[in-house]
Amino acid sequence: MSAPHEKRERNDVHSLIGAYVLDALDDIDRAAFDRHLRDCDVCRLEADELFEVTARLADGAWSVPPPRLRDNVLAEISNTRQLPPAVPPRPRAQDRSRRGLRLVAAAAAVVAAAGAGVAVYQVQDSRVRDAQSRLEAARASEARVRSILGAPDVQTRSGELRSGGRVTVSSSRLQNAGVIMLTADSAPAAGRVYQMWTIQSGAPTSAGALREGQSAAVQVVEGLPAMSNVGITIERAPESPQPTAPLDALVDLA
Amino acid sequence: MAERGVGDRPEYLTPVPSPETVPDAGLLLGSVARGDEKAFGRLYDLVAPRVYGLVRRVLRDPAQAEEVAQEVLVEVWRTAARWDPDRGSATAWIFMIAHRRAVDRVRSEQAAGDRVARVGAASVDTPYDEVADEVAVRLERQQVRHCLDVLTEVQRQAVTLAFYQGHSYPQVSELLRVPLPTVKSRMRDGLIRLRDCLTPEVAA
Repeated sequence: MSAPHEKRERNDVHSLIGAYVLDALDDIDRAAFDRHLRDCDVCRLEADELFEVTARLADGAWSVPPPRLRDNVLAEISNTRQLPPAVPPRPRAQDRSRRGLRLVAAAAAVVAAAGAGVAVYQVQDSRVRDAQSRLEAARASEARVRSILGAPDVQTRSGELRSGGRVTVSSSRLQNAGVIMLTADSAPAAGRVYQMWTIQSGAPTSAGALREGQSAAVQVVEGLPAMSNVGITIERAPESPQPTAPLDALVDLA
Repeated sequence: MAERGVGDRPEYLTPVPSPETVPDAGLLLGSVARGDEKAFGRLYDLVAPRVYGLVRRVLRDPAQAEEVAQEVLVEVWRTAARWDPDRGSATAWIFMIAHRRAVDRVRSEQAAGDRVARVGAASVDTPYDEVADEVAVRLERQQVRHCLDVLTEVQRQAVTLAFYQGHSYPQVSELLRVPLPTVKSRMRDGLIRLRDCLTPEVAA
């Protein structure tokens, strides 16, 4: 079922992740994707997580093997030398909980949806003008996203967008920060943008606006645990100093 | 469909009855990595029915399935030390190897040209149910099935044609008569939706 607002399909290699995990790629695409994974931590997390999903699909395909298979396998392994462990083990965050893993992958999905080239969509930031500093900011932001989502005390809440889609807010007191992940089904009408707000004692503060045509974002908000709510509105581009439109979503952080 | 469930759970530990509870695949695989053949035997009992079942489901031919399942299980022994627990569960790693091997076999046979006709005839009209008769009824399976029903038709078809039948995404595109980019995104969206359904706590 394809919705009329079917998004532009992206040609970037990351869009192959589903086919990769399902082994539906030919050797060339598979090799290209393996390279892609080597360069992209967040993508690798998403792939690992989707492999867990396919493992559940495998659970469903249970069939009793012929008894001789056991004998044959055990006989063969007694003559098979084992590989040593891979030598330089990649350093991994020790506190990466399963939950953190899922969230990072959720963020990766948003990042990929946010699109082409930029690892993390940096919400309009006047300090970051040229491409190089934007890229650096995106990298720094990606690391920050991971540290927040990987925090042992991370709490996650989410809500539906009335306009279609979902906003997920993860917040960590230890990091004193949070991440807003917005994935709308489609971008608002021309001239309108999604804008994110944090709310404390009823007073909204802008947490940034998406660009026109943009339907997904990952935004780090420092100090988020002190806030009571995250709200989303659709405002006139490029952004509004105050929310003027009815709330499209409101996530309660308490 | 028969409503059985948790009560049947211990059955999949056959053929070696164990007085203990279900062993942990990760602990076993860790021991296997250190060369423990006994642990491998227990790991075999735990995962072989699923490895064989999965491979058979993709390949259909029981003799070939047996051959490939043997390769897979020996590969698990051989490369056990390469499993990285930080990156995923032991079972996911094992089934990943199993699925890839099965699909590689399908592809090499397709390249040889002798499988195309059989697959072509069988693929489109083989519903999920047909093979279900031969698989053990487990709680998980019901959940997987329920979650597959949550997908859109194209998502579900894209995922199952690739996973259970070993079709490449261009073949899936051909079978479903939808454009390649759509197939790619439906596969991904389908898996993400499955994940959300299978791990409900994430949708806090």
